[in-house]
Amino acid sequence: MSVAARGERGRVSVGSARWTQALATLLALALLAATVEIVLDGASGNPPLIPASPHIADWLVGIGERLTDRILLTALLVATVAYGGLLALGWRARESPISKRRAIALIAALHIVVFAGPILLSTDVFSYIAYARMGVEHGLNPYLHGPDAIASDPIFRYVGSDWRRVATAYGPLYTLLSYPLAPLGVTGALWGMKVVALLASAGTLVLTWRCARARSLDPVWAILVVGANPLYVIFGVGGAHNDLLMMLAMMGAVALMIAARPTPGREATAAAVVVAGALVKATVAALLPFMIVARRSMAPILGALAALAAGAVIAYAAFGLHGVDVVSALNRDAAFVSTDSFATELAHLFGKPGVFPIDHDLLKAALVLIILYLMWRTWRGYDWVAASGWTLLAISVTSTWLLAWYILWPLPLAVVCRDRRLLGATLAIQALYVIHQTPPLLAPVR
Amino acid sequence: MSRSTTPADERFSWLPTWLRPRDEELSGSGRTRLIETTVLLLVGLILAIATIYDVSRVSRVNHRLSIDLATWRAYTGHDYRNLTVDQELFGASSQHEVVCGNTSPGAVRARVQLCLVIYGPVVGGRRTVHGGWYLPPHHEDREAVRYGCFGPAAEGLCTE
Repeated sequence: MSVAARGERGRVSVGSARWTQALATLLALALLAATVEIVLDGASGNPPLIPASPHIADWLVGIGERLTDRILLTALLVATVAYGGLLALGWRARESPISKRRAIALIAALHIVVFAGPILLSTDVFSYIAYARMGVEHGLNPYLHGPDAIASDPIFRYVGSDWRRVATAYGPLYTLLSYPLAPLGVTGALWGMKVVALLASAGTLVLTWRCARARSLDPVWAILVVGANPLYVIFGVGGAHNDLLMMLAMMGAVALMIAARPTPGREATAAAVVVAGALVKATVAALLPFMIVARRSMAPILGALAALAAGAVIAYAAFGLHGVDVVSALNRDAAFVSTDSFATELAHLFGKPGVFPIDHDLLKAALVLIILYLMWRTWRGYDWVAASGWTLLAISVTSTWLLAWYILWPLPLAVVCRDRRLLGATLAIQALYVIHQTPPLLAPVR
Repeated sequence: MSRSTTPADERFSWLPTWLRPRDEELSGSGRTRLIETTVLLLVGLILAIATIYDVSRVSRVNHRLSIDLATWRAYTGHDYRNLTVDQELFGASSQHEVVCGNTSPGAVRARVQLCLVIYGPVVGGRRTVHGGWYLPPHHEDREAVRYGCFGPAAEGLCTE
């Protein structure tokens, strides 16, 4: 090749890189702008989409207009397209299309914007506070009573109407962790929950970075995929969901297993961290069988058993037998049906009005088969992190009760695993979830 | 990479080769991966079809409901916003809706309510009212409290 031709190709490559950088920056700004729009409009005029809440974002009132279905969905679509565009620019090389500094700045800005605003699109955080206040302020066992047992408490009016009679389904470790926030009052506890969610998200991203580096992947790409994800930011951090704490434990365990040379101590600790995560929210226990099958040593089994025993003793001491019986709470929740679940969509596609009891059994059977297949694959050398991620994705897809923050579970695993298909599948499921929210945009304007 | 020399594998050396655990997958023909990818694509396609179908179904229902609300307002001459719609009385898939609203200004259900049974094709942005009944204030639509039934669609739906 002549020197002139090489110089020409070099100029084209530099020019193309500049265009990519410029486009990526524009997409990042669009993603940030859409998130700001949701937060500012969510703070204005008691919009119906934003749960009634103590006035924690009053200083933002008046800047935006009232958040309607149309504004929310348009902003969510803009954010999703911008995020998808950003990922498309780096997909082939699995490298961030923007610099490390810009990626961190974008993720930090998204988190700060959402942290400063009102609670977005879910009343779950008020249930967390209600359960904490039941235990600390009223001496009631949140595993035996629903928030309606404290109807005179100031938090009660903010609890979602569907959950007022429902005892907590969260793990005893989470319930105990939430107790110190109860005496802070409703507003103080709410800010406490927001801080916990923010720190859990930051911790998850740091651990994702470490895991990606340990597997020779671009850590900037990894945190960009997770930390700039619109569902993660708007629903996860925006709703201050405890799923973020569960994901922190999940990535802590993965980091212990892959970020350094494995030792029996590390493996036992990793398994114990998974159990701790499961005592926050049980779903993360799905990692344990894959961890054990991949290592084929006693250390993770012993670590898990020790943590489980300690957790059971603490839970029993604090809440009695009901605090230990997580299975019955999970069975109760597994019977719920939401309109956004793929099971409901498939039922409609096949001409049924909704999900029937037999469908629950078929979905559970399908999930068991998927898990058994993934365990067999892991036994034969498949990446256990990927197998865990597929399992979390399968749990959310086969669940009849699907919420936006459930399809976040596999995301950090998808960016650090060795099977690229998991990230594609997770993002595709998230895209379908967003598309399913769009009917109000298609309704005639009144 | 094979871990055939490590103690972990020696513990399972009694198993046939195809059953023995591995630390990393064999780089084979990629058949398993191809089958998995095909299954994943098929599942993804079915979920995508189900999602698009559901979006279209919900959009059609929303569109029909907005026409039914407009029909109630046109029929009564009241431009009230707080109307309730029942899709279940005649069956969720029947496309027969019951729209109820106050007969004079007030909060939801605060006045005597007029319920209209609306179904049929959309003509000029409206559907046809095939009957209806009245409800006393502060009552939800139950057979025991209905009165003044009129029209063929309301036959047998009032207790009186």
